[in-house]
Amino acid sequence: MTLSSIIWTVVKILIVVGFIVNLSAILTWMERRQSAMMQDRVGPNRAEITVFGYKIRLFGLLYPIADAVKMFTKEDFIPPNADKVLHSLAPMLSLFPPLVVLGVVPFTDTLCLDNLHEVVQKNGVVASNWHFFSSWIEQPSCSLPGAKNFIDGCCVIGCQTAGVVHQPWAEHFGTCPANVAPGMIGAIHMQVIDFNPGVLYVFALAGMGIVGASIAGWSSDNKFSLMGGLRAASQLVSYEVAMGLSIVGAIMVYGTIRLDEMTRWQGDHVWGVFVQPLAFILFLTAAIAETKRAPFDLPEGESEIVAGYLVEYSGMKFGMFYMGEFIEIATSSALLVAIFLGGYNMPFLHRDGITIAVGDAVVWKQHIPHILVILMQAGAFFGKIFVLCWFQMFVRWTLPRFRYDQLMKLGWRMLLPAALANIFLTGVILIAFDRTGTEFQERMGVVGDFVNLATAIAITFVQLWIVIGFFGSTQPAIRRNAFNKRARSAGEIVEKALAS
Amino acid sequence: MPQPLVGSFPYDKVKGTAVPKPTRTASEQGYVSEITKGIAVTMTHFFKNTRAMVRGERPDPVVDPMSEGITTLEYPDQKRPYPERFRGVHRLTHRDDGSPRCVACLCCSTACPAQCIYIEAGEYGGKDKRHGYERYPVKFVIDELRCIFCGYCVEACPCDAIRMDTGVHPVPYDSRDQFIYGKNMLLAMASQAGKQKHENPRAEPPDADYGPIERLAGHH
Amino acid sequence: MPSIKLDGKEIPFEKGETIITAAHKAGVEIPHYCWHPGLSVAANCRMCLVEIDATPTRRQLVLDVLAWDEKKQDYVPGRKPKLEPACQVECIDGLVVKSDTSPNVSDARKHVQEFLLLNHPVDCPICDQAGECKLQDYWLSEDKQPKRKTEEILHKPKAVEFGDTIVYDAERCIVCTRCVRFMDEIAKDPVLDKRERGNLGEIFVSPGRKLEGHYTMMVDEVCPVGALTTKDFRFKARVWFLKKVPSICPGCATGCNTWLDYDARTGEVPRLRPRENLAVNKYWMCDDGILTHRRVQEKRTLHAYVGKGKARKEVSPIAALKAAAQLIKDAPGKVAIILSAQRSTEDNFALAYLAKKHLDVKELFLARVGDWDGDDILRDNDANPNVRGAQRGAGDTSLSPLSELAEPVAGQQISVLIALGGEADISDATTVGALGRAKLIAIAANHGPLTENAEVILPAASFAEQDGSFINRQGTEQRFSAGPEPAGDSLAGWDILARLARQLGKPIDWKSFLDVRAAMKAALPSPAAANPESAAAAAPAE
Repeated sequence: MTLSSIIWTVVKILIVVGFIVNLSAILTWMERRQSAMMQDRVGPNRAEITVFGYKIRLFGLLYPIADAVKMFTKEDFIPPNADKVLHSLAPMLSLFPPLVVLGVVPFTDTLCLDNLHEVVQKNGVVASNWHFFSSWIEQPSCSLPGAKNFIDGCCVIGCQTAGVVHQPWAEHFGTCPANVAPGMIGAIHMQVIDFNPGVLYVFALAGMGIVGASIAGWSSDNKFSLMGGLRAASQLVSYEVAMGLSIVGAIMVYGTIRLDEMTRWQGDHVWGVFVQPLAFILFLTAAIAETKRAPFDLPEGESEIVAGYLVEYSGMKFGMFYMGEFIEIATSSALLVAIFLGGYNMPFLHRDGITIAVGDAVVWKQHIPHILVILMQAGAFFGKIFVLCWFQMFVRWTLPRFRYDQLMKLGWRMLLPAALANIFLTGVILIAFDRTGTEFQERMGVVGDFVNLATAIAITFVQLWIVIGFFGSTQPAIRRNAFNKRARSAGEIVEKALAS
Repeated sequence: MPQPLVGSFPYDKVKGTAVPKPTRTASEQGYVSEITKGIAVTMTHFFKNTRAMVRGERPDPVVDPMSEGITTLEYPDQKRPYPERFRGVHRLTHRDDGSPRCVACLCCSTACPAQCIYIEAGEYGGKDKRHGYERYPVKFVIDELRCIFCGYCVEACPCDAIRMDTGVHPVPYDSRDQFIYGKNMLLAMASQAGKQKHENPRAEPPDADYGPIERLAGHH
Repeated sequence: MPSIKLDGKEIPFEKGETIITAAHKAGVEIPHYCWHPGLSVAANCRMCLVEIDATPTRRQLVLDVLAWDEKKQDYVPGRKPKLEPACQVECIDGLVVKSDTSPNVSDARKHVQEFLLLNHPVDCPICDQAGECKLQDYWLSEDKQPKRKTEEILHKPKAVEFGDTIVYDAERCIVCTRCVRFMDEIAKDPVLDKRERGNLGEIFVSPGRKLEGHYTMMVDEVCPVGALTTKDFRFKARVWFLKKVPSICPGCATGCNTWLDYDARTGEVPRLRPRENLAVNKYWMCDDGILTHRRVQEKRTLHAYVGKGKARKEVSPIAALKAAAQLIKDAPGKVAIILSAQRSTEDNFALAYLAKKHLDVKELFLARVGDWDGDDILRDNDANPNVRGAQRGAGDTSLSPLSELAEPVAGQQISVLIALGGEADISDATTVGALGRAKLIAIAANHGPLTENAEVILPAASFAEQDGSFINRQGTEQRFSAGPEPAGDSLAGWDILARLARQLGKPIDWKSFLDVRAAMKAALPSPAAANPESAAAAAPAE
């Protein structure tokens, strides 16, 4: 392990953790504000800090900060008969797994550093000529014989003109051209842990979430806590099964358990949600159940068992559970995005730019510098996570809590059989697909392009709809609050009377 | 009519009516379509309200009807107007010369179901114009924490001396003593229109329309 | 027994009684203002008018009237019986009288009521009579219509001081002359009179005089409206907050029957009112007797104290009881007791019983306050309500006056004294010195010379706060009932003595007043002659 790889790992960890922790903080605000909007309320918007005499409220975005201050300063209470070690360990066990699960999720495509510079050899001296954005317009000519056209995916073997080595453009996702010349740096895989177990690692760690909740419930020395812990354990075990089985169909289609390869498959073909719709729904359901939030919040079950395993927690220990819950939302969203919603892929965004093509018919092409492609992919990935979190909030604020028997029935008698059926069906279709000829498979590729086109159109439409609908100009209705004056005058009388 | 039900439980021996199990359609049992419907409802509200917020078109909860849109108030900044007959914090009305109209008859504290009014009566001195005609409250204390704002004291008052038309609801304080309103505090309150005098005219000794003492000449 | 028929009800009467008196005795009330059972008949208020049917010996007076005919929409000539004042018509056997059942009577009452209220200021909010005012009562029962007069009322003098105790309000006055007659007939001091007529009529004090004497406050009591008010009770309380229990005036040996009005919320006793007892006080009380209500609040020993002079400090009742018991234990055979003519028979009995039976006390003293000026009306020279009761509590042991205390104390025969009550008339220095030398345990409701010299003070309930009885000068035992809860740490006197006995390890286990009565009955076989009316009065409050 070289120094540069260590530095890059640290950077990636910072990116992932920074994103996920901040997202979870924003989610706490979003949950309150969004539920307010759904329920015809205003929601929290009053947290305020004064900076140089200006009062800043930021629509209530300061609430997470206020929460953090509160949680760090509150009394850290441990019940007298509680197991002190386990009571302190439980929040860590609850916060840690969802945080490290993201280690195997790729957040952009492989970064080819060599595509960001040209190696210049002059008088035997090798030097790098960095050009992050210059290739937006400039198209280095491929003068070497046998080189493909640039726009077509560039020079597979690289271009060399007058002592300048133009790196060939990566043709496929995740690939980088080989080091063909001295001075090349190499490729960076944009996931923290680059190893094979992939999804298995995810499940192994997601299963740890149970431990935190049940230990919290047991160690609190409180019957409500214990019941909450028991509920959490049984619920999570049940839905873990459905979750694991629901994804098997997808694994069969993608032919891998590595998340980066799954994402690449989706970039090459079509988003997983279109080939595994049932698995998507099952996984989404199970993921929401794993987060222990409504309609699956039985471990907390305020109406029956006060707050379940959280009863005896206060201060930052409660805060860690709270954070863990929101990080879990983000993590499950990230998994959903990586496995079913194309990961960092956007329709028609390739490594060399945008190429809108259906089958062999190219409609429109635009070359985009490599660094911009990477950034767009990261934006897409994090944006999708955000949208999914937003959607999970909707589910949480729309559906009432299940009854406990309904919860178990749903897990074991509906999700599990459905997941098994999905595996069976996927297997049948895969075998049938393999038996068809290449012609059919090419046709299916065209269908996939159409689906991508439809997805692209839909995404564009929704974005336009939101932008125009929200920010389009109409006459703003300004109403005077006629009665506030009077109410204020009454308040002033009170204040005056108090002062006298 | 009790329905015989299957099972080991002796339903036929138990009095009562069996409540039929609600029937569910396949779509209800399948969750997804129903959940979609539900989320559609919440999304409608979400987008409508968010749009209104972003565009600044939020209905004014004070003057607009509360039928749709965000209907809550940002309380200390906005206040819902109270109806004319809203029973707010009490006030003691004034006479023309600023003295309290209250004659300490204790009718209010008698009527008060919460027993939150304490009055100590006093007599106007010998040289006062009202000597013999009126007495006045030396102490007039209302415990606003105990008060249930029923308005019985206002109903009971024969002198229109206590009113609840200030339009002010009890202000939150940080200690209990501050809820104990004394005479001066109550006299300092004004009605919603800012008036501190009484509303019902009644002839009293210092008033011009109060008749003279009629007595034949020759006696003391 | 001859009887009349009032509204169909047989009412017996004795010869010479008027209709209203007979009805009053039978418990039937005919509305009235000026009539009072203890005063002469004036018949000036016209409220007690009744319709009397003709009898063979008495013809009915009939008037020609014009009556409104609803159908003709006009007045038509008619006749109706002339009504007669029930306070003035003597009963004849078989007389048929209609009061509430006659529409004519109701009509007349309504009009009389409206007439009386014509110039009334209706200042009930500031009137102390409100709540027990006959104008209010009869307006509700007979009139119930708003005033029809729109003009400003006639204004008359208000807050006129009739004397040191009474304030007069001419506007409220209905000139029933009850007060005039009371001063005339009962107080024998005709200082009040009425002047002018009609609207302008008012009561006044004889020029150059003040309303004074021992019976001024009774004019407030006889006044049916709020025209006469006492300075003592003025603006002190609203009567609807007051509860009443039957009690006995502790002022003098007469033992006037009283209603004790108290505020259950504060425990205050703002006034005493006379209670009808024809054998003792009829309907009356004297001013000083009424003012004895102040003893419930003034100079009270609300807490237990130990120590004398500057060393005196407030302690818990238990600590004081223990200190008292220690004092008694430390001086065996040298204990004497002082009974009180101010406290109830039961308290005296309790102390005497404890002392004689358990402490082997031979010498019993009696503390009494000095005399006041008596008269022939009600007041007795002896200002102690219960001299006879104290003696009865002591049984056959004779009680020595306090002046005989000095000798045995000086001779060391007595070193500990248990005294009941705080007040005593101690004039000579030797007695004061003796009290100072002996260790004195005072069980007292009010501070006085005895508590001043006491080593231990145990707070006792006042007469208003405990059940008990006084034996008056006639030898009548009269019970009084507890009104408010005992103030402060105080307890009933017998209760303190029972607790003290338990501290001393003596078997006295009285838990209630009735236990003490039973013990007294067993220990003292010859009870005092009971007055039947007082026995009736001892029943719980009406």
